[in-house]
Amino acid sequence: MIDNLKSTFENFNKNITTKNTISKIRQDNFDKFLSSGFPNKKLEDWKFSDFKKIISQNFKNLKINLKDKKKFSFDNHIKEFTHNKIFFLNGFYNKHSFKYEDDKKIIFSNLKNGPAYEPKGNNSLNLLNNAFFTDGLLLYVKKGYKCKKPLVVYNIFEGNNKNNFFNQKLIVNIEENSELNILVYTINLNSNPIFLNTSNFFLLEKNSLLKLFYLNELSKKDLNYNFTETKILENANFENFILSYSSSFFKNEINCDLKEKYSSGFINGAIFAKKNQHHEIKTKVNHFGETTKSYQKIKSIVDKNSKTIFQGKIYVDQKAQKTNGYQLSKAILLDKESEFDSKPELEIYADDVKCSHGSTSGNLDENSIFYLMSRGLSEKQAKNILIKGFLSDAVETITNMEIRDYFLKKIEKNVNEYK
Amino acid sequence: MLKINNLKAKIDNKLILNGLNLNIKSGEIHAIMGPNGSGKSTLANVLSGKKGYKISGSVLYEDKDLFKLDIEERAQKGLFLAFQYPLEIPGVNTSNFLKTSLNAIRKSNGKKQLDALEFLKVVKSKAAALKIDEKILNRQLNVGFSGGEKKKNEILQMSLHEPKMAILDETDSGLDIDALKIVADGVNTLRDKKRSFLIITHYQRLLDYIKPDFVHVLMKGKIAKTGCSELANELEKVGYENI
Ligand SMILES: Nc1ncnc2c1ncn2[C@@H]1O[C@H](COP(=O)(O)OP(=O)(O)OP(=O)(O)O)[C@@H](O)[C@H]1O
Ligand SMILES: [Mg+2]
Repeated sequence: MIDNLKSTFENFNKNITTKNTISKIRQDNFDKFLSSGFPNKKLEDWKFSDFKKIISQNFKNLKINLKDKKKFSFDNHIKEFTHNKIFFLNGFYNKHSFKYEDDKKIIFSNLKNGPAYEPKGNNSLNLLNNAFFTDGLLLYVKKGYKCKKPLVVYNIFEGNNKNNFFNQKLIVNIEENSELNILVYTINLNSNPIFLNTSNFFLLEKNSLLKLFYLNELSKKDLNYNFTETKILENANFENFILSYSSSFFKNEINCDLKEKYSSGFINGAIFAKKNQHHEIKTKVNHFGETTKSYQKIKSIVDKNSKTIFQGKIYVDQKAQKTNGYQLSKAILLDKESEFDSKPELEIYADDVKCSHGSTSGNLDENSIFYLMSRGLSEKQAKNILIKGFLSDAVETITNMEIRDYFLKKIEKNVNEYK
Repeated sequence: MLKINNLKAKIDNKLILNGLNLNIKSGEIHAIMGPNGSGKSTLANVLSGKKGYKISGSVLYEDKDLFKLDIEERAQKGLFLAFQYPLEIPGVNTSNFLKTSLNAIRKSNGKKQLDALEFLKVVKSKAAALKIDEKILNRQLNVGFSGGEKKKNEILQMSLHEPKMAILDETDSGLDIDALKIVADGVNTLRDKKRSFLIITHYQRLLDYIKPDFVHVLMKGKIAKTGCSELANELEKVGYENI
């Protein structure tokens, strides 16, 4: 696979890159990637997810899309709430509509020609993304502007071509006193499996607010590594929710730097891994500023040979006094073949802090099933209610009511359709 | 309605019900009293179909073998158990659950499903009639409910289901006097010639509001004594040891 990737890269870099500086950056990143290769379980961050093995089991070759296609047929628009839209199609920007906003306050461009491009992240999949990214979103919400409607980034794969390898970026800067809600909604309409490698960066300036939601509707054999890095300045607030139920492999890695005082970060998620799925959420919350606050609640349901993982670290710098850090991960295993691994870590160098973490896993409670069935529900109905209730408890943390209801509806549908 | 004959139940090889006989006819109210650990809740659980017991003997419910029915079928056919310790179900809205449950029962009886509005009307009027604060409807099922609120929620569900055979497992324990009246009202409103009740209690005071036809004393997994409602008074005075 690696040999093939080399020629793919040469061809790609020749064809797609217009600026020499960027071509060089891509090359450097690719060379660095080659020296480390795909991450494997010997690396601490990947000990529960041997990506090298996973990708070689799922793909013979990675083929990258070079052309952006203009036309596409897509009518799965979210109807539950009004929103601004940006469409990416097969890795390239396609179109957008910010009709609910003041267009002087939202500065937007695509990253195809790499304006303001600088490489970020340093694990080997980040390097691969830096080498191969086709496009992405560069967005500024200007000072003091509070967006009226959420932005949905539709990331669509369709057309049934042979390309299976996609790398994209989201780079968003929320300026002082401004606000934005983003839902990144990724959908694969192809029957061919894809490997999607995404890298996202968010800067939250003073007093700003970003609510970021991830939802994938991928197919059973797709792989997605989704990397998110956030820098949060004074009194800014970052809220993230991951709804993770589709695709064979889905790893969300989130680094959250609470750089300045009174900043806060919330990372919550619900995972429903049903059949031979492998879903991981890995977080690293760094409290650098005083009186910063973080909160994490991750709930997962695991069934039929699936595996879910939560690796979460809270780091508190010695300067970060009066910090509050909370982390909880809970899993319910529906059968004996399913697995949940968790690695919570606290690393604290300040003395005046409140930090706690907890992790539990177990089965559905028999007494609760009995209670519900004694009220006339079938066993299946009773179990579904418990599963939905368990996951909803995490979804309830979402403070955007429209998106919260939308996610609850998605869970409802997913659980009801599950056999 | 319910004919229990030589019922034995074991759990983990421990014999808990040891040859229990009881016959409850339509329209009757039976009270069961008995010391802690004598098997009262076990009897209620076995009748409702809880798994995990090794059972022998027979129970006829409306002249049919109760043990052939699954838990939910028993509920659908009109058997209701108000739990001694109602479970907390996080993430599940009480009102939604009550609707799902009522509709499951209606469906199995060939009745029309209630939509959200119809249900709300029914549940609000039942709650009002019982003087139960409808605020509990918007909370997660039993989560963080006080002991009394949990019990009231059980009574609200009983009044929605309108069961033929209701078993109340210490629904009166831990209730203040107003809540106790709610429970009694719940039973008395439903009480008619076609419905029967089995009321498990430790206290005479509930029986002041709901006059039972029979009072049984359950000891060591068996009915040790049966009497009329005066037996409860007597027990209150002399305790179980002198039975
Ligand atoms: N799952 C179980 N495993 C082992 N023993 C059990 C189990 N469930 C009940 N028992 C035992 O069976 C006996 C009867 O319990 P049960 O709950 O029926 O008593 P009870 O009459 O309802 O008591 P109380 O008045 O305290 O509610 C007790 O000794 C109890 O410890
Ligand atoms: Mg009991």
